[in-house]
Amino acid sequence: MTRMVTVWCPDWPVTAAEVAADVPAAVLHANRVVARSPAAAAEGVHVGQRRRTAQQRCPDLVLLDHDPDRDARAFEPVVHAIGRFAPRLEVVEPGWLGLAARGPSRYFGGDERLAEQLVESTAGAAQVGIADGRFASAVAARRATDGPAVVAPGGSAAFLAPLPVAWLAEVGELSGLDAELVGLFARLGLARLGDLAALSSGDILARFGPPGRHAHRLASGSDDRPAGATDPPPERRVERSFDDPVVQLDALVFVGKHLADELVAGLDAEGRVCTRLVVTAETEHGERCERAWYRAAGMSAPAMVERVRWQLDGWCNQPGGLTGGVVLLRLAPEEVRGDDGDQLGLWGGRSAADERAARAVTRLTGLVGDRAVLVPAWQGGRLPGDRYRWVPAATTDLADPDDTAERLRPTLDDGPWPGALPSPLPAVVLPDARPAELVDADGRPVEVSGRGELSSAPASLTIGGRDPQPVTAWAGPWPLDECWWEPRRHRRQARLQVVTADGAAHLVVAESRRWWVAAAYA
Amino acid sequence: MNVATAGAVAPAAVAHLARHRTLPVVDPLAPLLPSDALVRGQTVSCRGVAAPSLALALAVEATAAGAWLAIVDVPWLGVEAAAELGIPLERLVRVDRAGAAARDWADLTAAVLDGFEVVITRVPRRLDAGARRRVQARVKAREAVLLAVGDPSGVDVVMEASAPVWEGVEQGWGHLRGRRVTVESSGRRVPRPRRVDLWLPAPGGGVAVVEEAATALRSVG
Repeated sequence: MTRMVTVWCPDWPVTAAEVAADVPAAVLHANRVVARSPAAAAEGVHVGQRRRTAQQRCPDLVLLDHDPDRDARAFEPVVHAIGRFAPRLEVVEPGWLGLAARGPSRYFGGDERLAEQLVESTAGAAQVGIADGRFASAVAARRATDGPAVVAPGGSAAFLAPLPVAWLAEVGELSGLDAELVGLFARLGLARLGDLAALSSGDILARFGPPGRHAHRLASGSDDRPAGATDPPPERRVERSFDDPVVQLDALVFVGKHLADELVAGLDAEGRVCTRLVVTAETEHGERCERAWYRAAGMSAPAMVERVRWQLDGWCNQPGGLTGGVVLLRLAPEEVRGDDGDQLGLWGGRSAADERAARAVTRLTGLVGDRAVLVPAWQGGRLPGDRYRWVPAATTDLADPDDTAERLRPTLDDGPWPGALPSPLPAVVLPDARPAELVDADGRPVEVSGRGELSSAPASLTIGGRDPQPVTAWAGPWPLDECWWEPRRHRRQARLQVVTADGAAHLVVAESRRWWVAAAYA
Repeated sequence: MNVATAGAVAPAAVAHLARHRTLPVVDPLAPLLPSDALVRGQTVSCRGVAAPSLALALAVEATAAGAWLAIVDVPWLGVEAAAELGIPLERLVRVDRAGAAARDWADLTAAVLDGFEVVITRVPRRLDAGARRRVQARVKAREAVLLAVGDPSGVDVVMEASAPVWEGVEQGWGHLRGRRVTVESSGRRVPRPRRVDLWLPAPGGGVAVVEEAATALRSVG
């Protein structure tokens, strides 16, 4: 098992935004905090909080937009600085990179010395952790708040055992779905990684399936390369050479998109996803940029394209620039793992559409205001338009399935409300009921008695200023007496469904001795 | 009602959405459209007495497969009716108009099209040709589908519902159960007008084809 070094810069997005340390600031994505400055942390702002909660804790909080491109650009100098220590480093995301420990450690005379050098080379911005295996080393880096954390060789299991099981989700080794799994572990009483590791892997596999087995391996400090991970043959890599050197970044990224689609399609066909990708670019004069990108949950095509763009952006914009155009772009998968079917969030279709919609909602809220961009939230009720109320989309996290489920629960599993209208429900629900007249064959207004009986059969319906329409069918009245115990909210009405000669159907309501049209079945 | 399970989206359906040039529609509506589906980049107008239900019905299959639906400037559209027809509410957003000018509608709809693949809206009557072209160009560029309730000009497909017959209500008893309509499609992209008899909504929810009554016996002689 490889001994790995993890270099981790806490709250990198805030650092990349160049905010002073004493200013409370937070970077938000999809209405949640993804990073915060030390000053904000002191006020009680935590990663994962909703915007409103964070603002409550810290009213002076400066809010920043999530900008992965800016983070990547700002991280380039750090990658270069670390790159001098080891040629084989892999970037997970801006703020987090890993390298194999053995070579550099021998060169510097020991893990501790290596760690000190790394911290110094980043001017103290980074935290360094060294341990056997990627997961243990990543956890060590996050806990290394007072100086580098070095776990003795073979000591990963003992190091991890007393730590809470939430670390499995924290370090992001498992895909989004498995955050539920981690929660489940906690609820079943497996509070610490050691508790999870103590169970037999066979039992875990039987109960939780492959994701559970993966979690078990990580918790035991054993090799975090999943069983069944193989190195793909060299033929799997995709590349494109250009006869005319390309100088524009956008054109290169466009080609990168095609390469990524091709690569992912090929791996798809074998039921695998790429966990470690090496992106190489060369100019006509031989300058070369090669970097490895690692993502435990596997990379989708959009994720690959994003990393290609970060890498090329940093390379093209480095001090001194390039002397020529790019003639070669290559994507080589170095590690793949079997697709266990828990990768739903990685498919180009669903998550991309969710992200697009969430971003559009943010823009639209800026355009027309909080109150004009709304999503339905379950409320329950009898009158049409009462079952769901509209809440500002800005208060919810549209791409978060838990948030959405909570907002719309309970759906139709709830029993029917007594006194509610039966299905089908009207497609047009007027926000303000329109005054109407309902008269019988002799032209007298139809009335509803206190017992809910009609004085005569309706024959003609007039809505607002329109022409009267003959009534061809009608049903009701269905009385409604809501909140009779509260004078302000007391509603007493009788409802009729009325079909007129033009084939239209309306929900006609008698309230306060007058008729209104509340909804149309259009 | 199958709305509760609409949240889980099969990867195969989503990949279909992302790669194909069309958005699917429910089977009963398919014969009305060329390519048996909504072609991305087109605008469809829904006219007639069942226009709002028709617009919602056209959006059902695409949203169930993972597309997001935005309802722009139609604050009176009933969300429960949408849910009954089969639209998953977790992918529905309503956007109201801030300004009263027609230009505001065009700006707003163009911004909405950046993020949503299916948009139901009302086209303002006095919309200048430039603004309309801008919105149509954005629909094409984003490969979205615009479903307009009402009768705007310059759309690709026109769907008109007529001859509505409600079932279930008599003289003082029963309740509305379902409505039969005849839907006819025409327009630039529909070379030959097509017509289908449908339940919209069908008793029990959704859209269904009206089964032909058994033909009268004919004597063979």
